[in-house]
Amino acid sequence: MAPLLAVTVAMVLADSAVVTLALPDILQHLNATVGQVAWVLIAYNVVLAVAAVPAAALLKLGRPEVLSAIGIAAFAGSSAACAAAGSIEVLLIARCVQALGGALALIGCLVLLVVDRGERRGLATWITAGVIGTAIGPVVGGLLTQAISWQAIFVVQVPFAALAVPAAMYRSTHPRSPARRPATADGREGADEVTGSLHHRPALRANLTQALLSAALTAALFLLVLLLVEGWKHSPATAALTVSVVPIAALCAAPLARLFSTPHHVEVAVGCFLIAGGLAGLAIPPSSHLGWTIAPQALVGLGLGLTVDRLTTMAMEARLPQATHAGWTIAARHIGVVVGLAILTPVFTADLADAEDPAQQAITALVLDAPLRPQAKIAVAQALGDELNAQHGQVPDLSSAFAGLDVDPDERAATDALERDLTDQLERAATLAFRDSFLIGAGLALLALLAALTHPRSPARRPATADGRGGAGEDPGLLDPERSDS
Amino acid sequence: MTPRWVALPVAAVIAVAGVIGVQLAQGGGAYEPLSPPPACAERPVAAQAEGLEGLTERLVLLGLADAACTLGVSREALTLELAQSGSVSDEQVDALREGLRSAMRQMKSDGTLPQASDLLDEALTNADLNQYLERAIRALPDRVVNSAIKIDDVLDRAITSLDLRVLLTNLDDQSEIEDQVNEAVTQAVKDSIVARLKGLLP
Repeated sequence: MAPLLAVTVAMVLADSAVVTLALPDILQHLNATVGQVAWVLIAYNVVLAVAAVPAAALLKLGRPEVLSAIGIAAFAGSSAACAAAGSIEVLLIARCVQALGGALALIGCLVLLVVDRGERRGLATWITAGVIGTAIGPVVGGLLTQAISWQAIFVVQVPFAALAVPAAMYRSTHPRSPARRPATADGREGADEVTGSLHHRPALRANLTQALLSAALTAALFLLVLLLVEGWKHSPATAALTVSVVPIAALCAAPLARLFSTPHHVEVAVGCFLIAGGLAGLAIPPSSHLGWTIAPQALVGLGLGLTVDRLTTMAMEARLPQATHAGWTIAARHIGVVVGLAILTPVFTADLADAEDPAQQAITALVLDAPLRPQAKIAVAQALGDELNAQHGQVPDLSSAFAGLDVDPDERAATDALERDLTDQLERAATLAFRDSFLIGAGLALLALLAALTHPRSPARRPATADGRGGAGEDPGLLDPERSDS
Repeated sequence: MTPRWVALPVAAVIAVAGVIGVQLAQGGGAYEPLSPPPACAERPVAAQAEGLEGLTERLVLLGLADAACTLGVSREALTLELAQSGSVSDEQVDALREGLRSAMRQMKSDGTLPQASDLLDEALTNADLNQYLERAIRALPDRVVNSAIKIDDVLDRAITSLDLRVLLTNLDDQSEIEDQVNEAVTQAVKDSIVARLKGLLP
């Protein structure tokens, strides 16, 4: 049953960005504004960030298996509601409920996985599922949107989550093995280590680094798919396949780090640097050929693989109660996403508007100087004018303007060449409009690098508990600077 | 001895430098839309059409570039402004009129302004004239036609009489533009011939 819980974790975290490629379809289908549709993404991340720590506190008050099952059921039900939403308002409410249930499910799954598989394996499973979910979210969302519809993104989650509800309940009464952690003095077992009364301070450095990296990764995952679909006019499926480089590279990162026996803090620093480099590379493609995004994406993916699971481990390992620290790390990650969206969205929106004028001038120059007779030029200009007016605020699709043109057969070749040149100009303008945002993302990754390099003041100390236990030295790992955080 | 893990940061630096270096070497930093040349830069015009249409195209493109220079904006910015804004300023109308005259003078000086006989056949085909009058005009030798009708004079008169403000506000209606231009040119031809005849009288 652990795989179902892991899938639930992956789904909850994938939902953070799963709708990115579906936003244009949602906008059209629900007759929403661009601002409203952005909240489909933002609302989920805000609620997940805000609810994660309270969800951990709630799990301490009740039976984790029951609360986890309730969270998963709420996630499943609200996913179905998202798919059935007939208006943007209903979709936004459903997304908020989905995030609330998701927060409870996410932390609850950690508790259940630790009880089931022991602290180290349970935590590793939880972290790995989260990294995979985060990385493949946009890919899966894009493929489902293209193949079926945007509603399919939510529909496919329902059966998995529905199956995870009994799995969560089953875990509680049928542990595969006894909890690996020794029982505490008052006789409580493993789950209490996750939700119990021992309290460490949140791992500020690891969580801050994670928040900054999440903001940077938002640039990579959110902006890149927008550039591919809206700027370069690729289908969601093509965009999804293109950005699949990120999760593939992320999977290659761990073996690479093991190969070099790299200390954890170096791994994180290198990961931040790779993400910054990848985003800088995405800011300056030499053309709109998809191939130019592959190497920068590989850098981002390797960076993602080196950082996210390591930072999550650093934020949680040997910190009690583990569920609360899981809450903090989830909160940090999704606050980072929201901050990233808050910083980057206005920047690229403004840059897109600024790019409109040079793009129109470039198009005008090409039409005026085109090797066409005046009548054909006028026809092209009128068709383009209509298209530009219809697509105000978005990158226009010139193919429809040219498709309706009635030109002489002897001018067809010149018209086709003009269409190619104009499309190239639009792609150049769109690429330029995204440049600043990618560079800001790279800057955020460098800030994360700075945060990661800040020397820890002291290893985490285990505070004394109510029964007088505790203090540094109980867990050798806490004294290991590579495993602990300030 | 250098620890093995140092290879990872070194490899990362090489990978990032390699990716960014290759992107920049292939023109990554310069992948931007075309920037229009400065307002008064020379803009070569290569008209595809011939005859009256080619003459009109060259005149308009050269005139537009000259007007843009006068107004201190790029030719493209002026074109977009004229096409997109509902109203045309006096300054723009004056600049365009002077730009068309300047274009006509430029074409005359570089020898690209056709003579009346070059355009006669096309003009007569388009004109709704009595067939006997049309035959009579076609029978005239080129020398006589060119002597009677000076294209630069006709164009100057047509440019002066054209209501550019109305023409620019009707850019979407091509037949309206053609009617207006034909009317102005026809009147200019008549006025030019009359003026030349008056000039022959003592």
